[in-house]
Amino acid sequence: MEFFKKTLDPIIALAAIAVLDIFMFLIMGAWTVGGGETMMTGLIAKGMIGDELERLPFWSIVFPVHGDYWKIYISLGMLFGAFVGAVLSKEFYWRVPRHLSEWVLITLGGLLMGFGIRLAYICNVSTFFGLMPEMNMGGYLAMSGILAGAWVGSLIYKKLLEAE
Amino acid sequence: MMSPVAECFVAFIFGSVAGLLMQRSRFCNTAALRDAIMFKTYRNTKAMLVAMMILTIGFTGFMSLGAGHPLQFDVGLNTFAGLFLFGIGMVFAGACTVSTWVKTGEGNLGALWALLFTFVGMFLFSLVWSASWWPPAPQTMTGQINAPALQLGFANAQTLGQKFGVPAIVFGLVQTVVLFGLYRAILKREHAQRLEHERHELEHARKKAEKAARKAARETAAKTTTAATEPATIN
Repeated sequence: MEFFKKTLDPIIALAAIAVLDIFMFLIMGAWTVGGGETMMTGLIAKGMIGDELERLPFWSIVFPVHGDYWKIYISLGMLFGAFVGAVLSKEFYWRVPRHLSEWVLITLGGLLMGFGIRLAYICNVSTFFGLMPEMNMGGYLAMSGILAGAWVGSLIYKKLLEAE
Repeated sequence: MMSPVAECFVAFIFGSVAGLLMQRSRFCNTAALRDAIMFKTYRNTKAMLVAMMILTIGFTGFMSLGAGHPLQFDVGLNTFAGLFLFGIGMVFAGACTVSTWVKTGEGNLGALWALLFTFVGMFLFSLVWSASWWPPAPQTMTGQINAPALQLGFANAQTLGQKFGVPAIVFGLVQTVVLFGLYRAILKREHAQRLEHERHELEHARKKAEKAARKAARETAAKTTTAATEPATIN
């Protein structure tokens, strides 16, 4: 199929996602990522330490752990969709970062993302594709935070690239 | 109201289509910001702006009719600080929450690693929050309204519309025009970059041609001199 041979124009892809997202906004809510990951974190932690987890107020007040939280399935769907797309277009192969420095940066990046999402309560998707289009006044504050962060991150990243 | 299972099913379908489309188009949210800042390229930024324009019209349009489920939670300095950290993190990891899933689906173990540490980061936050109940925004995270001064998160196109007595779509159209202005500015910038690039190419081609011409001239000159001296050597 032609679809799996050529790279799709991201504008077309994102326009299609936006239209679908409007339908989801009507029945459940806009596309967000982060809530599902938090619930997964809770589920994993519960699997590891059991009911002990509920002694942490966060997991009983903010995110009571349960598996039928719909946002989990958006993320699992993205994993599944990307896997199908990669396999059908013969683009699936194992990619492993080669240098130790890459692993360190990825680890640090992951930690910052996870901590940041929960501190802010939202991530970049909810900012750009949820709060901003709903014209949530907090969305503008959220956007300025993410732009400032991406800018500072890029500056540091550039410095690191030049140092190598 | 939909049953939780139906909601999960809809979410999975949406996620699958979105994941497939992002895999095929190589769209990445991080790249949309990072590439514009670091490399002055806008492939992903343009796509993000187009999606935002469509969503703004769609969301505010339906909000005018009182439909849809807008996000509502308290927003404060924690939002700025958290997303600031997130912004740095996503550039470091080379992927945001979305692209970590998409890239993991393509077999990228680095992305999977980033995802695992996102989980760790979230758990660390839950420990910090639980230890102190994090005074600036405790109730906010339970979905109850707190800190009246920071009610930004409860003000959206719909509440603004009710306040000013105009439909939400009016605000939406204003924002769409602003986003479109940004999009146009990017197109103009890309056009200028293309012209600059072509000018460089032309300059390069001209220099190359000049060099070749000089070389050819030298060769013919050398040939004529050898031709001129040839009879002498024969003698």
